This record gives sequence, C-alpha cells and structure tokens, in this order.
Amino acid sequence: MSNENVTTSSPEPEPNADESLASPTPGTAAVESDAATRATNAGRTVIESRNLDVYYGDTQALDDVSIEIPEKQVTAMIGPSGCGKSTFLRCINRMNDLIDSARVEGDLLFQNKNVYDDDVDPVALRRRIGMVFQQPNPFPKSIYDNVAYGLRLQDRTENLDEQVEQALRGAALWDEVKDQLDESGLDLSGGQQQRLCIARAIAVDPEVILMDEPASALDPVATSQIEDLLDELAEDYTVVIVTHNMQQAARVSDKTAVFLTGGELVEFDDTGKIFENPEHDRVEDYITGKFG
Amino acid sequence: MATERSTDGESWYGTDEGVNQLRGRLFEWGCLGAMLFGIAMVFALLAYVALDAIRPLTADPGWHLVFFLTLVAPTTALVGYYARRDRQAGWVGATATALPAFCLLVGSGVALLLVEVVQPIEWFGTTLALLVAAGIVYAHRRFRARPAEFERTLVAVATLAFAVVGVPGAIPSLSRLLQNAPLALNHATMMLYSFAAPVAILAGVVVARRRESRRDGGVAAVLTFVGGVLAVVTAPTVGISDHLLVVVGLSVAVPTALYVEAVVRRRDNLAGLALPVVAYAGMFVGAAAVAALGFAGPEAWLDWQFLTRAHSRFAEEAGIYPALVGSIMMMLVVVVSAFPVGVAAALYLEEYAPDGGTAGRVVGLIETNIANLAGVPSVVYGLLGLALFIRYADMNTGSVVVGGLTVGLLILPIVIISSQEAVRAVPDSMRRASYGMGATKWQTVRNVVLPEALPGILTGSILAFGRAIGETAPLLMIGAAAVVFSPPSSFTEKFSAMPRQIFAWSHEPAGEFRYGVLAAGVITLLVVLLSMNAAAILVRNKYQRRS
Repeated sequence: MSNENVTTSSPEPEPNADESLASPTPGTAAVESDAATRATNAGRTVIESRNLDVYYGDTQALDDVSIEIPEKQVTAMIGPSGCGKSTFLRCINRMNDLIDSARVEGDLLFQNKNVYDDDVDPVALRRRIGMVFQQPNPFPKSIYDNVAYGLRLQDRTENLDEQVEQALRGAALWDEVKDQLDESGLDLSGGQQQRLCIARAIAVDPEVILMDEPASALDPVATSQIEDLLDELAEDYTVVIVTHNMQQAARVSDKTAVFLTGGELVEFDDTGKIFENPEHDRVEDYITGKFG
Repeated sequence: MATERSTDGESWYGTDEGVNQLRGRLFEWGCLGAMLFGIAMVFALLAYVALDAIRPLTADPGWHLVFFLTLVAPTTALVGYYARRDRQAGWVGATATALPAFCLLVGSGVALLLVEVVQPIEWFGTTLALLVAAGIVYAHRRFRARPAEFERTLVAVATLAFAVVGVPGAIPSLSRLLQNAPLALNHATMMLYSFAAPVAILAGVVVARRRESRRDGGVAAVLTFVGGVLAVVTAPTVGISDHLLVVVGLSVAVPTALYVEAVVRRRDNLAGLALPVVAYAGMFVGAAAVAALGFAGPEAWLDWQFLTRAHSRFAEEAGIYPALVGSIMMMLVVVVSAFPVGVAAALYLEEYAPDGGTAGRVVGLIETNIANLAGVPSVVYGLLGLALFIRYADMNTGSVVVGGLTVGLLILPIVIISSQEAVRAVPDSMRRASYGMGATKWQTVRNVVLPEALPGILTGSILAFGRAIGETAPLLMIGAAAVVFSPPSSFTEKFSAMPRQIFAWSHEPAGEFRYGVLAAGVITLLVVLLSMNAAAILVRNKYQRRS
C-alpha cells in the first residue's frame, strides 16, 4: 500500500514535517525519503506522551509514562503481563474511551496535538491511527467488504477495487485470496485472518498502525509471515507493536520500550541496546529471564 | 494410600463400592421419564385433536388402501433408504418436499390479502409508484456522487411520499388514465405486471449471480414470467381466480425451482430430489385412483369448505375463513407495530444506555421491569388496550387495528428481551474492530451490530409473533367479534381472529361444533403457528451456516 491513494479524499493534508517537536535523535531532515530514514535509524517524533497516568477505577495501570515514538519505525513494547503495555497502546487511539472506568491524566500528543483535548474527535483520530488486535477479528463479511469497510465509512469509494487490491497486496495477502474476494473473511486461516485485519487497517492509509500482540494467537509459520510484513509496513507507516515475546521484539523492532510491573516505563532505547546492554538491572533481569 | 487399598486383594478397576453410580443412573432415568411423559402428553393431545378434525375412520377401507399403496408405502420406503444409506440426501429431500408446502401457505396468505384488503388495482398502483420512486432515487445516486449530509435520505423519503401520495393526489384522473392505457389492464394482467414481473426480475438476478451468467439469469426471468402467464391461462380449469393463481403459483414455483436448481447445479445429493417427486406424485395418483374407483374419503371437518366459508348455524357448513383473514390482518398490525419499536428499544438498552452511576441503575430498573412486563397476564394487556385505544384514542371497538396494537403491546417485552439477547451476543471484538477503524457509534451499530444480531432478532421475534397469533384473552377484552360472517375489508373494521372464533365454537350447544368444528379450527391455527416457527428455524439455520 503506498501513499498515493490518500491524495484525493484524505480529510486533512499530510502533516508538515516542520511542525514536529525537537527530535530525539539527530537527522530529522531526512524524513522525506522513507528508506533513508529507516536506514539512518532516525525520524521525527509522531507520538509523544508526557507524564501519562492511566487509572482503571482505583487501580493505576500506567505510572508517569513519557516516551517519544519516532516516525516510520517499528517500536516494540515489551514487559510482563499486566504491566500496562496494552493500556498504553489503547491510549494512543483512545480505545480506552470505550472502557467506562478508565481515566487518563497527562498529555499524549499525536502530530503535536494532545489527543485528549476537548476538540479532538476520537473517531477522526482513529481514522489516522489504525489498530490490529490480538485475536484476528475480521467482520463476518466477504474479504472484499472487510478491506473496503474503512474506506466506505469515510466515503472514499472511488477506485474501490484498486484500493482494496493495494491494501491486500500491502498485507501480503493478495496472491492467496485474489480468487475468493467474495468469500467470507471467517473462512480464512488464523494467519490469513490476521493479515486481512492488517489489510483492513492499512486500506484507509493511516499514519500509525498499532498492533496489540498481533501474532500471539498464531502458529509459528503465520507468526513469521506477520513479522516479515512488519518490516515492509515500516517503510510507509509508523508501527507500534505490543508483544510479550522478547525474541519477536528483538527481531522486528527498531526501538524497544520495556514496561515493568506497576505500569512504569523503565527503559526506552534502540532495540540493540536494550537487548545487549540495558541501563537498568531490572531490565536486564527481565530480558535474561530472571523474572517476569 | 492407593497401594494399601489395592493390596486388599480387590481389583482397583472394578465396579465395587469404590465407585457408586446408582444415584446418577436413577437421576438420568428420572430425567428421561419426565421428558417422555411431557412429549407423550403433547402428542396425545395433538393426535386427539387431529383425529377429531380429520376423522380418518369415516373413510372407506379402500381409500386407505389406495393411499397406503400410492403414497405411504413408497414414501416410507424412500425415507427408510435415506435413513440407512444417505442422510444428506434425506435432508435435501425433506427440504425439497417441505418447501413447496410452506410456500403454498405463505402465498395463500398473500393471496388472501389481495382478495380482502388490497384490490389488485391498488397493488398495481403502489408497485408502479414504488418503481418510479426507486428510479428517481437511483438516478440521484448516479448523478450526485458526493451528496450532502442526509441528502440521500431526504430524497428517498420525499420521492416515496411524492410517488405514493403526491402524484395520485395531483392527477386525480390518473387511475382512469392508467385503466385506459393500452396495457390491456384487468386483474390478471395487473398482477402479471406488478407481481410476476418483479418476481421474475428477482429470480433472474439470483440465478445470474449464482451461475455468473447473464444469459441464464435472463432465461430464468423469462421462464418465471411465462409461468405467470401460464397461471392466467390455466386458471379457468383449476377453478381459482386468475390473478390469485398468479400469486400462489409463483410463490410456490419460484422458491422451489431455485432450490432444485441449486441442488442440481451442485450435483450432490441429487437422490434427495426423489422424495418430493414420490410424495407429490403419490398424492395425485392416489387422488385419481380413489376418484376412479369411487372410494369415499373421510368426512373430515377440516376441508376446503371449512377454510373458505364463514360461520354457520349448521356445523357441516361452518368455516373459519373470516377469522383466518382477521388473524392475518391482525398479525400485520402486530408486526408493523411491535417489531420496529422492540428492536429499537433493545438497541438503545444494549448499545447506548449508560452502564454506571445513577443513570445506569435506572436503566437496570427499566430492564428488570421489561422482564416483569413479559410475565404480565394477557387479560391485563386486554384491559390496557381497552382503556388506551378504545376509551382514550377513540378507535372502533373490536377493530383490527385495536386488536393488533393490543397484542403488539403484549409481545413487545418479549421482542425487546429476545432482541437484547441477540444484540448482546454480538462479540465485543467486532465492535472494537469497527471503532478501531474509525467508525462512529451509528456506523458500528448499522454496519456491524445490526447485521450480526439480525438472525437472532428475527428468530426471537417470530417466536413472539407465534405467541401473538394464539392470544385470546386480549381479543375478548377489546371486543373482537365472536362471530363475523365476512372478513374485515379494512383495518378499522370489526373482526374476529382464529382463537376468538374457536373460543366461540366451544360455547355452541351442538356437540358437532364442540368436537368437530372446534378441532378443525385448532388444527388450522396450529398449522399457521407451526409454519411461522418453521420460518424462524429456517432463518436461523441459514445464517448459522454462514458464520
């Protein structure tokens, strides 16, 4: 899936690189060329949280999380169960709004705009930040209708066939399903369903794709297909992936954030550094399997 | 410990006191007994009523023998074959046999409405108006690719209102104009244009999609229309009005043909198609043989004249026709009033109503009370209908609308509760997926929740309608007539429904009414009821297989 498709009907113009905050790493100017950006391991910040706290009722799920997620890279969130990594992911596109007891304090900025401001419509936000869930959850509609779902929601139905094909190609699913677009999405295998969900997410050409343990319900072959796909997706999109599989984080991500019990972000750095030479002993203990 | 026990010399795997299953066995037998008792009672009742209604023992032994030889024996043999060799084909055969019968009932219902409520000219005019409206809406869609908010809805509503009400109002001579048009309009051709043609187009589209061939679709459409013409031509020999035969004939033929086509195209379980052929051919051959040999059939109470005549002082001439029409018209009112309100209420309670806080507690209270309302006796609803619709709204006592609305209120809580359950059964992951795609609440409800919940909503609602058609007490309260001699010609007229008529028969002093006519009425009511339940099961099965 390439960026050409957005042009005509995207509600807002592409955000300007100049708007970005001070970048965590040098080399912000190189943003315009995707490949180069990724190669130099640099990018401007797309998502930034400042002192973010999240509570479910009386329980604190996130404790003072500050992080800057760079554009067009894969950022992995790892940590033991219940450490708040999924909560953080759901904060980014305000899926926590669907949980009545959830309460968010602090700032979370997307394109330099606090998404919890009163004038931000979560629906508009989610149209720019796609999401893939842990369990593949295609709609009980045809494969075609699944992919076209988001486009139809936004009335972007010109060249619908073409956009659907692009999205399916982008999710590396086109060759497997091109002859059965009319069949139900539920008839596919688990791994295919998950790639269908990815195709559905990228069909509307979002800027960020959030993935909540996208491979944890899949077998090893399907998992490796998803991982290969992540690599390609990062050329066009900013990918944030939650995983509890440390090898997976090491394989696919450019940056890694380690959350530990209590919803605390302990360390955030380049993936290589986290896995080879972490600053904190607790992170090292977790990564080497001494706890968690 | 385990070793100590096994050294007793007794085997650990035995069935001695170590494992006592007696209590479990007794419980199992008890449950089995309860089930058998319940089913046996219901079947005994049904058999008793059916025996009274049909009186099979009044027929000549020869009549029984002929039908045994032509119908019962071959069908049983075939069913036995399916049961032993080919279950799948058996199911196909059962469906192919039941489908025409079911469609015959539905088609007769539509035909009844055509005779009693809507005149063919009204039907024709409405179809024409709808066609024009659909054309305008389609054209609007084509030429305005990016409509403003609500523009399409407004256009649709406006065109519909204009076409159905506006045009006939603006050109009062339209009906005469149409009648003078060179279309050779009479009852038969009107039904050909406004019933056979749309059905033909529909069948054509279905076949074209299935076979992925426009030519096959065209052939199917033409065949369907020719079938309609054939019905008009053959009507005099059958003895039914031609325009009704078009409706009934196509209602039976088209779904059956589509089903058979699907079986033949897939080429599996073709053997199943033998069952309907054997059963229906057996019926016709049997009837012909009985007529030729002069064997008298049973003097059944439930016969053609029972279904087509009104009540009479003489049991032999009494019939249920006005009450049957009344029941169908009342059910129309029930469906139109209770279904949308019930589904909307359920959607609000499940999707929009607040969960927590004071508001949440109020919602909880309301939900509990809806469940309570479902248990309120029907007499009380009758009283409510009497007060609300007749005293305050000043509608006609015992009219179809009042009856329908009252019974609609009665089943409303059931519709709400079953719809709520269906909506709740839609997995949350679907909603999350939709919201995650940037759908608004309305888009999620319309595109994901409603389509997913619809089979469940339909199943529950149809079962509720089944309860509605049998309700007697509210009809007594709102003053539905005990006996009417002609069916209501409009919805504001006094009517009688089947249960009300049956109740009236139970008071007749003559025993023939209380045993014979009454039983025939009960069987008629049950057949209508069971076919509604069958429809519910069909809907559920169709959608379950897909997901």
